[in-house]
Amino acid sequence: MEKFITIGERLSTTAPIVNKAFLERDPEPILKRAKAQLDAGATYLDVNIGPAEGYGEDLMKWAVQLLQSNFDNVPLALDTSNKAAIEAGISVYNRSKGKPIVNSADAAGRIENIDLAAANDAIVIALCNGEGIAADNDERMGYCTMLLERGLSLGLTEDDMWFDPLFVVIKGMQDKQMDVLNFIGDLTDMGLKTTGGLSNNSNGMPKHIRPIMDSAMVAMAMMKGMTSAIVNPNDLRLMETIKSCDIIRNATLYADSYLEV
Amino acid sequence: MALTGIQIFKLTPKKNCKECGSPTCMAFAMKVAQGAVGIDKCPHMSEDAVAQLSEASAPPMKTIEIGKKPFADNKNDKDAAFKLGGETVLFRHEKTFVNKTRYASTVSTAMDDAKVDQVLADMAKIDYDRIGDRMYVEFIAVDYTDGASAEAYAALAAKAAATNRALVLNVKDEAAAAAALAAVKDTKPVLNAADASNYEAMSKLAADAGVVLGVTGANVDEIYDTVAALEKLGNKNLIIDLGTASVKDAFANGVLLRRACLDKNPDRTAGYPTIVNVAKLAPGDAHQQTALATLFTMKYGSIVILEEMSYAQALPLYGLRQNLFTDPQKAPRIEPGIYPINGADENSVCLTTVDFALTYFLVSGELERSGVPCNLLISDAGGLSVLTSWAAGKFSSGSIAKYIQEFDIENKIKNRTLILPGKVAVLKGDLEAKLPGWNIVVGPTEAVQLVKFLKDMQANGQA
Amino acid sequence: MPLNKKLQKFSATVRSVELGTGDKTTTLGGGNTYPFYTFDNPTANPAKIGIEISDLGLADEPDCIKEFYAGCETVVDMAKKAVTVEGADFLVLKLIGGDPNGENKSIEELVEVAKAVADAVDFPLVVEGCKNVEKDAQLLAKVAEALQGKNVLLMSAKEENYKNVGAAAGLAYDQLLGAESAVDINLAKQLNVLIKQLGVDPGKVVMNVGSAAAGYGFDYCISTLDRVKGAALGQSDDSLLMPIITPVADETWSVKEASASEEDVPEWGSVVERAIDMEITTAVACLSCGSDAVILKHPTSIATVSAMIKALV
Repeated sequence: MEKFITIGERLSTTAPIVNKAFLERDPEPILKRAKAQLDAGATYLDVNIGPAEGYGEDLMKWAVQLLQSNFDNVPLALDTSNKAAIEAGISVYNRSKGKPIVNSADAAGRIENIDLAAANDAIVIALCNGEGIAADNDERMGYCTMLLERGLSLGLTEDDMWFDPLFVVIKGMQDKQMDVLNFIGDLTDMGLKTTGGLSNNSNGMPKHIRPIMDSAMVAMAMMKGMTSAIVNPNDLRLMETIKSCDIIRNATLYADSYLEV
Repeated sequence: MALTGIQIFKLTPKKNCKECGSPTCMAFAMKVAQGAVGIDKCPHMSEDAVAQLSEASAPPMKTIEIGKKPFADNKNDKDAAFKLGGETVLFRHEKTFVNKTRYASTVSTAMDDAKVDQVLADMAKIDYDRIGDRMYVEFIAVDYTDGASAEAYAALAAKAAATNRALVLNVKDEAAAAAALAAVKDTKPVLNAADASNYEAMSKLAADAGVVLGVTGANVDEIYDTVAALEKLGNKNLIIDLGTASVKDAFANGVLLRRACLDKNPDRTAGYPTIVNVAKLAPGDAHQQTALATLFTMKYGSIVILEEMSYAQALPLYGLRQNLFTDPQKAPRIEPGIYPINGADENSVCLTTVDFALTYFLVSGELERSGVPCNLLISDAGGLSVLTSWAAGKFSSGSIAKYIQEFDIENKIKNRTLILPGKVAVLKGDLEAKLPGWNIVVGPTEAVQLVKFLKDMQANGQA
Repeated sequence: MPLNKKLQKFSATVRSVELGTGDKTTTLGGGNTYPFYTFDNPTANPAKIGIEISDLGLADEPDCIKEFYAGCETVVDMAKKAVTVEGADFLVLKLIGGDPNGENKSIEELVEVAKAVADAVDFPLVVEGCKNVEKDAQLLAKVAEALQGKNVLLMSAKEENYKNVGAAAGLAYDQLLGAESAVDINLAKQLNVLIKQLGVDPGKVVMNVGSAAAGYGFDYCISTLDRVKGAALGQSDDSLLMPIITPVADETWSVKEASASEEDVPEWGSVVERAIDMEITTAVACLSCGSDAVILKHPTSIATVSAMIKALV
């Protein structure tokens, strides 16, 4: 059993501080957030620059080099709908600590990101949806199959395709939660790796509730074999839950101080 | 060669009918590749596709049977032949290793009769019991050397076979191989003879005689190719000789083959047991042969051939093997009974402890060091350590008293002093009540203190 | 078609720990494969072998060891002879005489022996205590102080005394620290974490995760080594990426296969051969599961194991 991989989500253009820093190419706020996430135990860092039309290539190169040169070639997920920006980021990416992740492809408009990952020997996050959220697990599996077939035929290995079941919000879709979890189980049975934006489930909940709900969700997802998630690593409760689940899954060796390392 | 998920998918009908229980053909194909479901779950697979896939459901490493066992390994052993291979994991903590390494001494056509007799006689001397397992040299390697006659080789094989050990016929000469098989094929030897240059002829000889064929080559790729070629001829009754080019290569070959067959996409052509000839890897150097026999016991030899197994080599190697091939989840146990130490008799003092093998070894070792004759009484304590079995109620005054009665100790031993492990001093009162006439003495809490304890008792005339 | 070799690459590497000073240093650890898997990646630092002597001299040693050291009057003489043994990479001085239940030598006396040995030989040095945790807490601290600048490895810090031994060896006097646990992988990891939290540089720590003689519960030893190495490399567990040192001779020379006299068991043959083979088998088995260094006693065992290591790398 491999250790659960956490992809830190806090370098996102949706955060005003980050957006401003990206636009001004101001390293300080970016490095500060990156360090906080790595200190908390993030494996990968997600770099979400938004669509960044016109300047995405330059910005992604700048971000990749900034982060990798400051943090020992930290592995990164390149998160944008701008394909040229992803390719530009990969062109300056150092693979010594892990392949780059293309975030993300789906079975509709972004399916060509599968091709992009295959052409660049990258990992790709493959969203099991088409236009809109899948209605049920049969539909999710249909999308998964389509993505998988395309990836494998282009030479990607199944280890390099991380499938995202798409977590759905509890406030509104409470009755669908077990479907998502069971779908993770189905993907695990197929020998596939899984990831996803876990905190979607707790959207709209009070701030003090969200870490609790996210922790319960990650524990149940890990029970189903989930191998990775896109998370806020600075959520201590969540990270402690992940570390504890990794002990139970025998992915890390127990020691009394396991939470401190 | 195992098929990947995408290769299996291409063989499916691609109808997504769900009759197999999976939502799509792709999902089904991935599960088949994982070994999670069988191909027979799909009712629409063509016969051709099923044939291609049936291979994928066989165990990744074959179990090969050789020879006829002269003795059972232990009281639970019912096998008529030596089983080799069939392993399912790379490390013992994952799952119990299945078929233990076997050892061989070597005779050769280059030896004179006196030497051959000496090797065979010395080989036969090694025969002892260790915690219920019979330890002896199971195989004899019979080496053909260039220039020897076929008759001489056959005679040597017959002589070796007369010792009731299984044979490894190391021979490249076809006539000599045929002659030896004619003489000893009923003993089910290994014909360790095939390589890239002669495998067709040797395979025929082995198949006709109904024996296992040994295959080797200059490197792991050549070995693999030859095995593949033999499989194509329909011969899968094989064992792989890891070669004698170098220690480094033989070791690498063994690990790479084991790893390839136990991969998540298993390569069954790599999945055969192995022969390692450490006599050839370190000729004339008995200590180096000990080192290499150890290495290849650990990783991953099925038959390890030495020049002449000595007691000095057998004692640690067989002990190691016994440890390596135990169930990692089950503690090794000692048979309950009376174990006299240092020439003890019915008048010698008694001690008792649990049947957990580690405890027994520690305690009996210290008792031997003390030099004091004593009887070690081992009762059934569930194979746990002293405190654990006491806590579990399996080492109690009741269980000890019952053991004394069941094993008729009072008629077998006249001495009435019984020393208890110090950690269960609490049992003293109860035991005195249950065993009238016995002097119950509380011993030390650690085995290492037993030497002084017993010597003091002896000095005081108590033991 | 050649064999499709499934090579195994790990992103983690066991730390390299330098023992000794100047030209005479030896490196423990540094590997990033399972032992001897050079086909996965060539080995930078092959496994090392230590030769052990004790402050008790030859008094309690078996005849074959007395013969080898014949003519040696003092422990220093023995040390000088030991470092000439072919295949020995470092010297191990065991201060057994400190045991309160044995000779109970004073700390000052033992420190003098350690100093004398360290001054007499220009060779990487490991100093082992007497295994009594209270005595070792003081003894090893004093030895660390006395041998400042020699970059010696002090064995061992245990759960009970790691604070004293660690503070002295690892912090105050900048020596190398041995962390000892007895076939308990969780404790092995925990001890490393605690030692790091004490402030000791993890790059100066060597683990002893326990040992046994072949045949004597060695199954636990195998699985402990396999699992520590597997977790260190496979899970990139930084708290386990320390080299492993295994004192083999401590275990093998007392078992009956290695010590029973030829009069008592004539069918077993030479006791010297039995002791050597028991030492070789146990050492090779430890090395094959993950020990980066073993400590042995007999020159023949050392030469044999050394030759095997050379043949494999």
